[in-house]
Amino acid sequence: MAIIKAKKTPDRSAPASETSVLGWLQKNLFSSAFNTALTLFTLYIIYLTISGVYVWGLADATFVAENRRECYDNSLTGACWAGVIDWLDNIFYGRYPREEIWRINFGGLLLALWMAPLWISRVKGKVLVGATVVVFYPFLAGYLFAGGDKGFFMQFMISGAIVAFAINMANTITGLTKNLGLNAFLIQSLGQTKATDKTQRNILLLLAAFAFGAAYLWQMSWSFEGVTWTKWGGLFLTLVISGIGIASALPGGIILALGRRSKLPIVRVLSTGFIEVFRSVPLITVLFMATTMFPLFMPEGFVLNKLVQVIIAVILFNACYMAETVRAGLQAIPKGQFEGAHTIGLGYWGTMGLIIMPQALKHMIPNIVGSFIGLLKDTTLVSIIGLFDILGMLRSISKDVPWLGLHKEPLVFGAVLFFLLCFSMSKYSRHLEVKLSAGRKH
Amino acid sequence: MSKEAKPKAEIRVRPKEEFNFFQDQRVRSALYQLLTAGIVGWLAWYLISNTAHNLEVRGMNTGFGFWNVSAGFDADFKLVDYTPGIGTYGDILWIGALNTLLISFLAIVLSTILGFFVGVLRLSSNWLVAKVALAFVEVFRNVPLLIQIVFWYIGVFSLLPVVKKSLDLSLGAERVVLNNRGLYMSTPIPGDLFWMTLATLLAAVIGALIFRHRAHKVQDKSGKQIKTLLPSIAAIILLPLIVFLATGMPLEWDVPVLTGFNYVGGTSLPPAFLALLVSLSIYHAAHIAESVRAGILSVKKGQSEAALSIGLKPGRVMSMVVIPQAMPAIVPPLISNWMNTVKNSSLAVAIGYSDIVSLFMQTSLNQAGYAVEMVGMTMAFYMFISLTISFFLNIYNKRVQLVER
Repeated sequence: MAIIKAKKTPDRSAPASETSVLGWLQKNLFSSAFNTALTLFTLYIIYLTISGVYVWGLADATFVAENRRECYDNSLTGACWAGVIDWLDNIFYGRYPREEIWRINFGGLLLALWMAPLWISRVKGKVLVGATVVVFYPFLAGYLFAGGDKGFFMQFMISGAIVAFAINMANTITGLTKNLGLNAFLIQSLGQTKATDKTQRNILLLLAAFAFGAAYLWQMSWSFEGVTWTKWGGLFLTLVISGIGIASALPGGIILALGRRSKLPIVRVLSTGFIEVFRSVPLITVLFMATTMFPLFMPEGFVLNKLVQVIIAVILFNACYMAETVRAGLQAIPKGQFEGAHTIGLGYWGTMGLIIMPQALKHMIPNIVGSFIGLLKDTTLVSIIGLFDILGMLRSISKDVPWLGLHKEPLVFGAVLFFLLCFSMSKYSRHLEVKLSAGRKH
Repeated sequence: MSKEAKPKAEIRVRPKEEFNFFQDQRVRSALYQLLTAGIVGWLAWYLISNTAHNLEVRGMNTGFGFWNVSAGFDADFKLVDYTPGIGTYGDILWIGALNTLLISFLAIVLSTILGFFVGVLRLSSNWLVAKVALAFVEVFRNVPLLIQIVFWYIGVFSLLPVVKKSLDLSLGAERVVLNNRGLYMSTPIPGDLFWMTLATLLAAVIGALIFRHRAHKVQDKSGKQIKTLLPSIAAIILLPLIVFLATGMPLEWDVPVLTGFNYVGGTSLPPAFLALLVSLSIYHAAHIAESVRAGILSVKKGQSEAALSIGLKPGRVMSMVVIPQAMPAIVPPLISNWMNTVKNSSLAVAIGYSDIVSLFMQTSLNQAGYAVEMVGMTMAFYMFISLTISFFLNIYNKRVQLVER
C-alpha cells in the first residue's frame, strides 16, 4: 500500500521576522536582553551626538554677520558660519583675481565635458578620448589658469587641445545620434566608403590638419591676463596638485613596476630601491626635501618655484605607491596570458603594451581611484610648507581681523567637504570594482 | 626569416642561426642595463655636482660638524635631560626620535585595540550597532588626517578650561588634571623595598601561566575543565598587594601641585601630544577596523557553524575558531597600518609637537643649515623603522604560510 498525498500542503507564510517591521526590529535590535540594552545605549549616544551637532551647527548657529563679535551677540554657543560664508570664494579659489574666476570654472567644465563621453556606452573610441585628456588637457588648462604669454610650444599644444576637444565633442554627437564614430561618419557623408584604407586615412588626416590650422589661427586672436602661481589657492590648488600628481604618477608607476618585475638585475635593483625608499618615508619629509634640496640640485641661477617643487615631490612620491598598485595588478594576470603572447611571437613591449597592460589597467581602475582619494587627502600637507591650499585657506580665516580666532567652523566645513568628495569617490570605486569583477567571471 | 620565403612542403632543417650582435638576448640585456645604469649614474653625478657647486657658492655648511654644536633651543616635550644652550644637535635628534617612537607606539596600541573593537562591532548582529560602527569608519577614513589633527588641537585641546579651572579626571583627588596646557599626572616614585612587590607580581604571572598550561594538559587528557581565570586574576592582584602592604607601602607619588600659574611636578603631556595621540589613534583605528572586518569575513561561514554545532558558545567560537583563522588575513594590513602610523606621526610638525621632523628637519635645519645631512638623516631614521617592521612582517608571513596549507 502506498500513501499518496493528493493535496499539496499549503505554503507556510514567511516567518514574522522576515516580513513585518516589528519582526525585523525584534530580530535585529531586540533579540535578547543584552541586545536591547545595547540598542538603547546606542540610541542614546546617537541622540547626544545628533542633538549636539544640530544645536551647535544649525539651531544656535549664525549665518549672517559682519564679524565674529556679531556672531557672539547672536549666540554664544552656536557656530559662526558667517565667517566661512564670507570666505567661501577664498576657500574655493584662493586669492585668484575675482574677475578671472570664470577661467577656473570654465577649465573645470571643459574637463567634465571632455571626460563625460567615457561614461556613455554608445560613444566610440574611448581609449583615444582618455589619451587626449591626458596629453592635451593639461596644456589647455595650464594656460587657462596661468595665462600670460603663449610661447610657440604652448600655442601648438593649445591648438591641438582645441582640435582634440572639438573632435571629441563631434564624435560624442555622432555616437549618440548615429551610433557611429566620427571617422566613419565623415567617410560616409563624403561618400568615400568604398575608397581604400589609405585614401580614407589621408582624407581624415587632411581634415584634421585643416582643423588644426584653423584652431591655430583662431587661438592667436585671444590671450589671457597672467596670474602668478602665488595667487592660486584653495580647493582649486588642491585639485591642481592632486590632478597633476595622479596623471603623472600613473605612467611613472607603470615604468617603475615594470622595472621592478624586470629580469635585468640592474634595472630591477634600481627600481626596487627607488620604490622602497620613497615608500618608507613620510610625505612631509619628501616635501621638506623638495623645498630645501631641490634648489641645490639645480644648476646655478636656475630657480624652480615652490609650486613646481611641490608637484615634483608629489609625483615622485605617488609614482612609487602607484608602482605597487600596478605591480599588484600585473600579478593578478594569469601566466597563460604572458605565455600566449610569447607564443604568437610578441616581444617584451608587445606583450606588455598589447596584452598585459590593457587587462591589468582595467582591473586597476578601482585601486587608482583609491590612490586618488589618498592623494587628495595627502595634498593638505602642502599647507605645512606654506602653500595656501584648501587647508591653508581654512586656517587663515582665523587670522583675518573680523574673524580673529575662528578656528572650529572652517575646519568642520573642510572636513565635511572632504568627506563628501572622498566618500562619494570611494563608493563609486567600490561600485566599479563590483562591476569589473562581475565582467571577469564570464 | 624573411616575409617572401614561402612555406615549403618538405621538412627543412633550420640552419644554425647566425650570430646577430643586436638580436642576441644576452647582448641586449647587457646593453639595456648599461644604458639604465648610465642614465641613472649621469643623473646622480649631475645632481651631486650641482649640489656641491651650490653649497660652495652659497657658503653653506657641510659635513657632520653640527653634531657636537650646542643647539640653543628647547623642545616642548622631551624624555631625556636636556638644557638649551648646552645640549647639542645630536641630543636634539635623540629627543625627536624618542618622541616620534613614543607617540607612534602609544598610537599603535590604542588604534589596534579600538580598531579590533570597532571591526567586531561592524559585524554585530545588532543592526544599529553595526551601522554606527560603519559611520565611525567612513567618517574618520574620509577626512584628511591633517584636518583631524588640527581640529583636535585647536578645536578641542586648546579650548579646554584654563589652569585655575582645570578638569579633575581623578574625581576630586587632584591626581590627574586636564587643562588647556595639557594633561598633568602623578608619577609614582618607588621606595627601597618596592622591588619585592614587582618580584612577587612577576612570580604570580609566571605561576598563573604554568597553572594554565597544566589545566590545558589535564583537559587534553581527561576532558576535565579547570577554571583558571578567577584564581589567576586573584593571585596576580592579591599576592603583590599583600607584599606591598607588608613591606610598608614603599611607594610615593609625585603629585602635580598648582603653584603660581601652572602645575608643577608629576608628568605632563602637552596639548599637541594629546591631540596627535587621539587623532592618530582614531584615524588608524578606522582603517584597522576595516581590515579586521575583511579578515573575519574571509573565514568561511561553515567554520563558525561547525563550531556552534559542536556546542561552543558564541564568544568561544570567535576567540578559538574564527579569529585564529582570520589572523593571517588581518596581520599584513595591520602591520602596514602600524607603519603608516609611524609615518603619519610626522604630521606633528603642523601643531608643534617636538617629533623628529619638527625638531631636526625643520628647526635645526633652519638654524644650522646642513640641509643635505639633516634631510638624509631624518629619512634614514624612517627608512630604518619601516625596514625593521617589514622584516618582522616577512618572518610572520613565512611562518603563517608554513603552518597553513
